[in-house]
Amino acid sequence: MQVQELVGIVPWNFIATICNLFIQVYLIKRFLFKPVNEMLEKRRAKADAEIQDAVKAKEEAQAMKSEYEKNMQEARDKANEIVKTAQKTAAVQSEEMIREASSQVTAMKEKAEKDIAQERRKAVNEIKGEIGGMAVEIAGKVIERELNEEDHTKLINDFIENVGEAS
Amino acid sequence: MELDINGAKILFTLPIDLPVLGPLRISETMVVSWIVMLLITGVCIWLTHDLKEENISKRQAVAELLVETANKFVVGNMGEKFRYMIPFVAALFATSVVSNLISLVGLRSPTSDLSTEAAWAVVVFIMITAQKIKTSGFGGYLKGFTQPIPVMTPFNVLSELATPVSMACRHFGNILSGVVINGLIYGALAVASSALLGLIPGLVGDVLSQIPILDVGVPAILSVYFDWFSGIMQAFIFCMLTVMYIANAAEE
Repeated sequence: MQVQELVGIVPWNFIATICNLFIQVYLIKRFLFKPVNEMLEKRRAKADAEIQDAVKAKEEAQAMKSEYEKNMQEARDKANEIVKTAQKTAAVQSEEMIREASSQVTAMKEKAEKDIAQERRKAVNEIKGEIGGMAVEIAGKVIERELNEEDHTKLINDFIENVGEAS
Repeated sequence: MELDINGAKILFTLPIDLPVLGPLRISETMVVSWIVMLLITGVCIWLTHDLKEENISKRQAVAELLVETANKFVVGNMGEKFRYMIPFVAALFATSVVSNLISLVGLRSPTSDLSTEAAWAVVVFIMITAQKIKTSGFGGYLKGFTQPIPVMTPFNVLSELATPVSMACRHFGNILSGVVINGLIYGALAVASSALLGLIPGLVGDVLSQIPILDVGVPAILSVYFDWFSGIMQAFIFCMLTVMYIANAAEE
């Protein structure tokens, strides 16, 4: 069998090797780099998308949180207001009640005083009549004589006047 | 005992005979380099079928590792703008490594034929020159030879031409030396075992001395250096030089 020289350049081998090298470049590009790079690119895009999603979700959560806080603040304010209003109303009501009560008391007192005064006057009038009668009787008995009616009445009245003053 | 260390066998000659190129002979170099190409392409297809974005298999991890390594090697040494060189460097490295290591299965390495390395070196040389012309223009490229003084011009031309020659011969020499030394070792061990077993008297010795028993196992130790280390190292050096020369050519 023929052999090539051990050290030497064979033109056909030379050309074939150049062709082979460029075919190999194409093949390795087509079958190794292209699919792997495409896959890596896809994976990178996916990772980016996921990061973006996470950022968006975080923003949403932030917005929700701030809204919640705002709502909470509003609710607290409202509650405070309600309590304050209730306190005010209660204060007003109690004051009114006190005032009413005191006015009632005053009215009752006045009425009682009036009643007392009336009773007294009534009593005085009754006593006046009784004392007049008694006085006339006593006087009649004491002096055993009939006084002239006019003097009589005058005397009684004077007496009563004096009693009234003394009482 | 005779020992022949020859060039690649010529398997058959096609009836094509061009004036400069000579008759088209299909040699071991060509056939084995086709096997190498099939092997590399087959491995690429096997590695990259059924790629997934997540929950990847070991196979896919290897494919990604290879691609990332090639990217890092080229971009790290040449810069971002040479991304288009990645497949070329990867193909060069893969072909070189597989060609060097295919001698382990008994085939003749295409890289033990100087034509192969010469072709690669010439391609790289053309790329370097094209890059130089692209960087500083044709006039600038020619003027570069007269730097730093015009007297240096012949030496500069010589050193320029030495680039592909040294690249080709370095790679070729290392692989061929592996082939030669392996041949010598096999031959020597066969002689040694025949002499050793010939000491056994009678017919048994005559029969056993025909079997080169020492050839089993012992050359494998040397093959660790001459095939594995040297093969991978030379492929790496060739690619490293390619990358460095082109990157240098791109500098102003």
